[in-house]
Order: sequence, then structure tokens, then C-alpha cells
Amino acid sequence: MRAARLVAGAILGGVACANAQRALTVEPLVSLAEHRVDAGFGVERSFGPIIGGVGTLRLGPGLAVDVRALGGSLFGANGVLDRDLGELGVEGSVAAGRWLSLQVGAARRAYGTKLGRQTWTTVDVGAAARVPFAGGAIRGVGRAALLPVVSVSGLPDPGMAFRAAAGLEYRLRAATLGLEYSLERYDFPIDQGVRRLEQLATLTVLLRLRLR
Amino acid sequence: MRRLVWAAALVVGAAPALAAQGSTEELLVQAHQFYERLEVERALPLLRQIVSPNWPFEVSADQRVDAYKYLGACLALAGKRDSSMLYFRAAIERDPFTELDPSLFTPAQLATFDEARRRTLAVAVRPVQPARVDPRTTRVTFTVVATHAALVNVKLSAIGVGSPLVLFQGTMDGVREIAWDGLLANRRLAPPGRYTLAIVGRSRVTGAADSARVYFDLRHEVAALEDTLPDLDQRSLLPERVSPEAARRDVVKGVGVAAAALLIARAANGDLGGSERGAADVVAATAAITGVVAFLADRRHGAIPENIAANARHRAQRDSVNAALRARNADRIAATVLLVAPAAGEGVER
Repeated sequence: MRAARLVAGAILGGVACANAQRALTVEPLVSLAEHRVDAGFGVERSFGPIIGGVGTLRLGPGLAVDVRALGGSLFGANGVLDRDLGELGVEGSVAAGRWLSLQVGAARRAYGTKLGRQTWTTVDVGAAARVPFAGGAIRGVGRAALLPVVSVSGLPDPGMAFRAAAGLEYRLRAATLGLEYSLERYDFPIDQGVRRLEQLATLTVLLRLRLR
Repeated sequence: MRRLVWAAALVVGAAPALAAQGSTEELLVQAHQFYERLEVERALPLLRQIVSPNWPFEVSADQRVDAYKYLGACLALAGKRDSSMLYFRAAIERDPFTELDPSLFTPAQLATFDEARRRTLAVAVRPVQPARVDPRTTRVTFTVVATHAALVNVKLSAIGVGSPLVLFQGTMDGVREIAWDGLLANRRLAPPGRYTLAIVGRSRVTGAADSARVYFDLRHEVAALEDTLPDLDQRSLLPERVSPEAARRDVVKGVGVAAAALLIARAANGDLGGSERGAADVVAATAAITGVVAFLADRRHGAIPENIAANARHRAQRDSVNAALRARNADRIAATVLLVAPAAGEGVER
């Protein structure tokens, strides 16, 4: 809960600062997240809501920087510990065509349980495609990114990590309503005969508002 | 010695012939000099030579008029009023602008000249001089004359185009200047081309009639005008309706997004208890339905409001640019300068 308050504060602060810029959008979002991890003891599931937002500053035609802040609580199933999740990230994108943009970003994520705290630092490189529907009123969205740098406290770096997403954006006058399924996957190297697999899947609803 | 005497006699005998063979201008100057020394008897034969059909040299219109005028003046001094008037009338007929300077001629000569003018109706227009006229501030000036009181009509017309513009209609006697503002009867600037100024007069004294005309070319000097932006064609506008092909593609796109969501879920979840796929199913179903709904909506009306609005903005922007451009062009046209130059006739027949 404390993490959620921190996230909300960060978003509001970021928006207030960036408000003086030219093209600014803000996206409050709500996600249902499912976290799964298999560390050799079977699959542990936790599930819960995440809230947050993304502030996007358009620096020029096709060039944008966004900052995101998320936070929420994931409730464990079948004896799995509940955990809080908080994340701050920054991402830059540049248009590579009418519907394709290239993205690079970095994020810092923290999972907190009553037993301890684990932090993740990631760098991602990928692309996003936005394909217009119905004359541009709707857009299909697809994203894919590799995470070449992932650093997890207390764990070796995963050998393979990626993020993929698919969804839709509906333009409603000056606002845009989005629905997106996203999945992050981390495959850690085998350690003492055990291969740790971890993933975070989210179903996100967002509302993009153009401030100026 | 005898040879020298013969040569001298030959030169003296040939002197009058050499004088007669001198240019018309020299003879006129000589006649003027005799006239000014009141040697009328010596001036008259020189002047008669100039107007004679047998005079072998070229005589310009001005020289002929001058000769007639001085013949009339000489004969008036000699008391031969009728003959004087005859020559004065000949001068007036050839150049209705002919005048006698009161400071150079006697009252009797002036009276005879006035009587000649009263008996002879002639109207004329002075040849148009090259000029550069800004119609906003200055006028094109024409000089016309009627030798005595006459009902005069002065008309300006473009050769072969439109109806003439009446510049003056009324009684006049003597010289009159007529100003033209460069506009035609429709109050528009006269277009470039060849024009004629015609004067027709009917004497209020004798009932005789006369006419004359001059020609001139009119050109416009105007700063280069800007071209307006061309009409917007289909290629420069966004499509305002969804095409049937695009509608069908919307179904494919919706199915594509759905498939992508399901593939992502299946690919990753397999070794982590793959039964949970609800979130991906939600997105997949929404995408598929969206594709179908978009297809149906496209088929039903298919308008693209954003594109319609963008096109409207584009058109408005173009109209605004063109309006400003037309205003600038109108200012330039309003500042058109008229270039007037004399012309010989109606021009080459095409």
C-alpha cells in the first residue's frame, strides 16, 4: 500500500513538472497482474491489482519519452506469500515508419514480502507496432522487447528475458482507451539442478489523456 | 582673262538655280528672313515654290503648313485679303492646330486668319505622346481642336473590342485638353491593346462636318502576380470514407491482434502451469469482436471523422492562403501603370 502511495506521488509530480512542455499525455492505468514463479518447488501464483500511470512527453515528430510508475499488491494463492510491487521506468521511442516505433527503456522494480525485498533492474530494447482500424479510430497494438540487462538482487542474471504484448487502443475524442495483454518472461540459468522460471502477466486498461 | 570672266558670269547666272535646288528648310528660312525684313515681294516667290506641285524636294506636312501660313501673312500685308484667306484656310485645313502668334503678326493678319478659321471647319487630335501614367494619381491627356464653334464628339475605343467610351460630347471652339482616367465604360482598367481616339465635329456656323482619329497602344506595367495554390486533388487529401477493401482488412487486423495475444500467452505459460490464460482470452475476444464490428461499421457508413476534419482544415488553410494571395495580387493590379505609345493604324490584320 505504501508502494502505491509512492507511485501515485511520483506520477502526479512528474505530470506537474512536464506540464510546462508542449505535447504531454498522461495515462492512468489499472492492471490485473498474475505473477508466477517456479523455483523448483512447483509453480507459485500470486494475483492482484496494480495501478499507476505513464506520462509521455512528445519532443518532436515521432520522438517521445515516457515515464511510468506502477504499484500494487499481489495476493498469493495456496500459501504463497503476498507481495507488494512497485516500479519506476523510463522509455524513449522513435518512429521508424507510419506504424512502427523503436523503443529502449530501463526500469527498476521491487517486490516486497514480509520476509524481505527483492529489486530488479532491467534494460529493454524493442519495437511497437500500431496498426489502424476503422479509419484510424481504433489501433491494434503489438509490442516485443528483449531485456538484455536484467539484474535481480539475490539471484543470478536470467539467461533469457523478454516482454511481449498485444492490445487495442480506442480513440474517444481527445482521449484514448486502451486494453492490453502483456507478459514478461525470465528464464534463469540452472543452479544446483534447479531452473528458476518467472513471469508477470498483466491485463491492463488505460486511459490516455492529452493535457496540452 | 576672258576665261575667268566667262566663269564668273556662269557662276552668277547659275546662282538662282542653285538656290532653287536648296532644301525646303533652307528656302523656308530664307523666306522667313525676307518676311521679317518686310521684303514680301522676295518672300512670296520662295513660298510659292515650296507649295508648288513642281517643287522637286520633299516637303513635310509642317513645312507645307508653315509655307501656307506665311503666304497668307505676306498677302495680308500686301492687302490681298481674299488670297491671304485662301492660303490661311489651306494651312488650317492641313493643321487645325495652326495659330498666329499675336506678338509676331499684325492685327489685320490676325483678323484675316480668324475669318479663315471661321470659314473652315477642321477638327484634329494631337498625336499621342509616349507616356507612363499611374491612373491612381495622373491621367492620360489628349489634345483636340475645332477651328471654330462646333458640336464635337470625342470617343475612345479599343480596336475591334467592345463599345466606345465617350470622352467628350458638346460644343467647343479651339483647343481643348481631355483627360482620361484609364478606365472603360464598365469602370474597369482598360486592357492592353491598340486604341483609337476619334473626333467628329459639325460646325455650328457653316454646318460642315469633319473628323479625325489617332491610334495608340496601351500596355500594362504590373508587378509579377503570384499563382494561387492549385485545387486539392484526391492524392493530397485523406480518404474520408473507409473503402470495402479496408473494411475487410479490419477483420484481418482484429483476428491478428487476437492471435498475437493468444500466442504470447501460450508460448510463455506452457511450462508455468499453462491453464491460466484468461487475460489473453479477454484481449483476443475483444480484438476479434472489434475487427468484426469495425468491418460492419465500415460497411454501414464508413465515414472517417478525423480525416474529414483534417481535410476541412487543409481546405480552409488553402483557401486562407489563396485569399491572402488574391489580396496581394489585387493590390499589385491596383498599382498597374499604363504605358501609352503612339501607333500608326489599326494594326496588322490577322
